[in-house]
Amino acid sequence: MILLTIVWAERKIAARVQMRVGPLHVSPRLGGYFQLIADAVRFVMQEVIITVDSYRVLFVALPPLFVALALMPSFMVPLSPYLALLSRPSLHYGIIMALAVLFYLFIIVVGMGWAVNNRFAYIGAAREALIITAYEIPLLDAFASMFLTYRTIDPIEIVAKQTYIVGALYNPLAFIVYIIGVAMATSRFPFEIADYEGDVATGPYSDFSSIFLALTYAGGIYIALFSYSLLGALVFLGGWAPIAPGPWPADLWGNLAAAAWVMIKTFILMLFFVFLRSVMPVARLDHTLSFSWRWVLPIAVAATAVSAAEYFLL
Amino acid sequence: MAGQKVGEAIRAVLDVIGLGLKYTLRPERLTIYYPYEVPDYMGRVRGWIGLWTERCTSCMICARICPTNAIKMYMEKNGRRYPGIDYGRCIMCHYCIDACPTYALYPTDMRDLAFYRHEDMMYTPDMMRRPPQVPKLVPQVVKVVHEYSGGRVVKVRLGEHGEYKPLPPAPSVPVVES
Amino acid sequence: MGLKMEQYGMVLSEVESGPGGKRTLELLFGPQHPTSGHIRFFVELDGDIIVDIRPDPGFVHRTMEKLGETRHFMMNIPLFERLSLPDAINVTWAYSMAVERMLGYDVSERAEYLRTLFGEMSRISVHLYDLALHAIMIGSSTGFMYGFGLRDLLVNLWAIATGARTTPTWVLPGGVRRAPPKAFYERLAGFLDFLDRKMDEFYRLVVKNPVGYYRLKDVGYLSKSDAAAYLATGPGARGSGVDWDARRDMPYGVYKQLEWEVRVHDEGDSLARTLVRIEEVREAARIIRQLLKAMPMDGPLVGHNAAHKIPPKEREMLNELVRMSGYYVTTTNLAEGTGVTEGGRGRYFFQVFGAGTERLFRVRISTPSWQNLRAFMKATIGARLMDLPAIYGSFGFFPPEADR
Repeated sequence: MILLTIVWAERKIAARVQMRVGPLHVSPRLGGYFQLIADAVRFVMQEVIITVDSYRVLFVALPPLFVALALMPSFMVPLSPYLALLSRPSLHYGIIMALAVLFYLFIIVVGMGWAVNNRFAYIGAAREALIITAYEIPLLDAFASMFLTYRTIDPIEIVAKQTYIVGALYNPLAFIVYIIGVAMATSRFPFEIADYEGDVATGPYSDFSSIFLALTYAGGIYIALFSYSLLGALVFLGGWAPIAPGPWPADLWGNLAAAAWVMIKTFILMLFFVFLRSVMPVARLDHTLSFSWRWVLPIAVAATAVSAAEYFLL
Repeated sequence: MAGQKVGEAIRAVLDVIGLGLKYTLRPERLTIYYPYEVPDYMGRVRGWIGLWTERCTSCMICARICPTNAIKMYMEKNGRRYPGIDYGRCIMCHYCIDACPTYALYPTDMRDLAFYRHEDMMYTPDMMRRPPQVPKLVPQVVKVVHEYSGGRVVKVRLGEHGEYKPLPPAPSVPVVES
Repeated sequence: MGLKMEQYGMVLSEVESGPGGKRTLELLFGPQHPTSGHIRFFVELDGDIIVDIRPDPGFVHRTMEKLGETRHFMMNIPLFERLSLPDAINVTWAYSMAVERMLGYDVSERAEYLRTLFGEMSRISVHLYDLALHAIMIGSSTGFMYGFGLRDLLVNLWAIATGARTTPTWVLPGGVRRAPPKAFYERLAGFLDFLDRKMDEFYRLVVKNPVGYYRLKDVGYLSKSDAAAYLATGPGARGSGVDWDARRDMPYGVYKQLEWEVRVHDEGDSLARTLVRIEEVREAARIIRQLLKAMPMDGPLVGHNAAHKIPPKEREMLNELVRMSGYYVTTTNLAEGTGVTEGGRGRYFFQVFGAGTERLFRVRISTPSWQNLRAFMKATIGARLMDLPAIYGSFGFFPPEADR
């Protein structure tokens, strides 16, 4: 459901900026909302082609693994004080586990590039391996500085500490680093370098078709974006902290409204990332790396310094 | 031109994001929703070519000037040859209409033609008397035009689109009523 | 250049060049690629740097020069229009100029003004097309949609004036074919206002945006002496400081009577070429505005020599429509004629030799993309792989035009 909405929103937003109408014909009254279902049906019915000189085992096994690993982090993190799949004490480390799993995604992308076994995928996989060096450390640093600010790594307590002043206001530098890092991690413009259609013909995903493509390029990336945005919503945007102080009113399953509030915040973050597609071109690989090491890393270190100051002051 | 400074770069990025937000919230769309709407060309666009056989003298100038050799002459029952156009080859340049000395070929402004079989595209002279009637895809087709006012574009609906009629081959040349 | 199938996976060829040898990856940037156009490049990569690029043109070779010999010289006009459809008017203008010089035809004043007006519109059309493709090669699909959306509006204007959107077939030796209606001039003025605003936004979105800026800056450097030595033309040369423009240096049309400037930038990188294009769009809008004020609204559409061949009954229509009857009976002299115009991508050169019949003996065409190919190769060597689309788009390379 979320996937449907976010892909629809991406195409519609891009269309609005670009003086045109995005998908409209499939369900005209709703403004083309069910276009993704039509696309998904087409993907599933398409002939499954496994190229002759690819490594078959990896070719077939990696796309489902990609989706699984992209979705897992969102189960490790609580949606509301009562809706969580893990229970304490492992919930304590939810965010760290989620980050660790998300950082494994790049290995799968490199693996897919290797499995496809053509030159463009090789170049794309090499680029993905280079990009991970660009965003891994700053992103970890951003989260680390937020842990310093809150003095805890437990997601439930992190959210409990944010009421009016959300994480982004506590440490805006960390928030900026987070946004840039997630844009690099999920191949959002301006950093869609590994699977760049203009140059390497969608790189690691180039020889995939039908269900594989739906799992990875058209679906998996957005699911990874969802997981990252969920983390960001909890840590930076206040999670389920209500605007007015006081506990949420009891609902179905205990606080479904709180879960909805978290989802709305996640969705806003995802919308922003998806909006970037319509306004940004794609940066070059060495510019991205030098930008990350020369600018983003110092900002992340500064964010940590700010957090350390807040640790002692607050 | 030196590279951009940091402040300039940040301002440019914010400017771009603002621009995108402005158009997301108030979009300026140019799209013409074909086939519900069609653009209006004032009847001046070069479309399907028809023939009035009573004016034709079989001089074959049209066949000789066609750049793609789309015109073949077909022998009719009265022993004379009349032109038939192969719409697979025709590029609708209207050289044949402009070369015909007796104004026997006439233009229309119908450009949306589609055929199921290749053989259907080769029109014989008896098929060229009237523009082909296509089944309607949608009940009502509206003509639109883009009007400009003060630097903005507005799509103006001009009225319903009727059926295609023969147009005069040259100014002040009468159309043959049939 | 033969590649065996089993080598397809990862071709790392060991090339002994210089001390120690070098290992390069040979990449086929083939015709089936989102940004290569209709041409194949054999790109040799050393890591991320391109060390050699060999183009493999000829996928779109349509034997236009030979076809020009097999048909009536008027039937060549729709043919040569399809060399570069976005720039249709300037291409057929060059051909018409060549045929006029061969036949000794003159052009009427109204036709000169109309040709210049449509030539500038054609320049805007091809610059929008090239900028849009360049933007999507850099990655900004918004730039692409802006360019093509604006071009759609311009092409609708062509439809009411000349009869077809993208294939006007409008310039004849001696004049033009049809006169535009009154509504055309009003809509054109409105379109130019909209164009100015949107080109400014395009500039902010793609070029001034630091992501796009650094994508284009210092990329594909072509020095001034190289540009002149490799005979680069159009924005490829004017972006490197070579100040040559056929509209000013080999004048035709009414350009001498108008106030306009040739835009030249000195840096020689992709940014300079792109800026030359954007500024030429603004200059073209300026020229069109001057022409709209000075345009004669009445008068014959062809010159005297062509009008003499037209039968008297049709000579009355000459203010609105030119029919083919006079041209059909014209044969070519045993003479030669040349025509040079400055299209959006560079200068078009046509040389025609008459045969004495209605066919030409030989048509020789020189298109800007073919001329820019050498300069393009020189500018690409030493750049990174991700710069290849940026340089490709900045030269405005168009394979159908290059292959003829």
